[in-house]
Amino acid sequence: MTKLRDMLAAADPLRHERQPAQARRDHLRSTVVTAASHAYPPRRARYPMVVPVLVTFAAIVIGMVIIASMWSHSGSLAQAAVRFEVHLAEDQPGPGLRAARVGSSNRTVYLHPETVVTNGDIARSRVIPGGAPSQFGIDVQLNNAGAEKMRQATMSHLGKPVAILIDGNVVIAPTVKSAIDAEAVISGDYTQADAQRIAAGMTGAAP
Amino acid sequence: MNGLPITADLPARLSASSAERLATVFDAHYVRLYRLARRLVPTADDALDLVQETFLRAARASRSIPTGFADEEAWLVRVLVNIRRDQWRKAAVRRRYNEECRPSIVAGTDTEAAFVAREAVWSALDVLAPRQRAIVIMHEIEGLTVNDIASALRITPITVRWHLSRGRRELARALKPFGVTDDEA
Repeated sequence: MTKLRDMLAAADPLRHERQPAQARRDHLRSTVVTAASHAYPPRRARYPMVVPVLVTFAAIVIGMVIIASMWSHSGSLAQAAVRFEVHLAEDQPGPGLRAARVGSSNRTVYLHPETVVTNGDIARSRVIPGGAPSQFGIDVQLNNAGAEKMRQATMSHLGKPVAILIDGNVVIAPTVKSAIDAEAVISGDYTQADAQRIAAGMTGAAP
Repeated sequence: MNGLPITADLPARLSASSAERLATVFDAHYVRLYRLARRLVPTADDALDLVQETFLRAARASRSIPTGFADEEAWLVRVLVNIRRDQWRKAAVRRRYNEECRPSIVAGTDTEAAFVAREAVWSALDVLAPRQRAIVIMHEIEGLTVNDIASALRITPITVRWHLSRGRRELARALKPFGVTDDEA
């Protein structure tokens, strides 16, 4: 009588077949890797690029620590309009790039001339509590067009800085670690009054 | 919310890292998964399909994959066996029909007959449900211990032993015409 184990081993298809061709393996690998790169969000793989744009799903936070001394001229903030701009930036100088100091730090970034989003791309802005009772920040929510522009620009800009400008000054230039879209939080040690003026000024409304 | 850097889990970062992760996982485990898959399904094409479906599921849930070679492998093996179980359930109706219509096979002596006999022996495994089949294959052909199988499939060693004993008994019965005996019965 033959042992079961020996009989199975003798009949094992892997003993009698070649491995699948390398080309098939490579094709399978590329299918899988492509699927992985489009796999967000996991539950709705049929619409991989639509859902991230949706504000509620993809709202993310840009944390901005505003250097207090930048805003010592609080009088200027009393002006009606506050210009809000986001530019892609580089850590190294290059042709066509404009150098700009970040806040009051010694860091310099080099701005691309194109404005990614500006005041017109803001859906709303509001004052939010900051890290301390007397500190306030600003929550900036982009509209769908603004969120899409932001996402398009930042998704190919990973690992590089994005500069956020208020009235032409770079207030912070965080490094893009992932595509950014709908929401930015400009937090820092504003007084409530300054924060209200900036928030209202961003959308053109009177404070 | 104060001073948060841009670190939230976001589409692009997730995409980049999960693609890299999947490439690494694929390269590390493709051969092992193919070998297991091939022993669970009738043809090499079916095996490739099963492997692809396993890795696609990994791609959609790359954050669920544990880290470390052994844990990755166990996770993938579980996914693969579960996919096979789903396929098996869906195919149950068709399978019943096929079994009724399957021609009887007799062992012969020449090369072609040997091939036919080998196929017949191997297809005896079809009587086993996928998880039981996977357990029998891992133990009898791949040589894994009961404890290794139990931890890979996240079931108890007692369950593994039960599947082994039951699987072997059913196989021995199916292979009786070929003079097979269950060596550990």
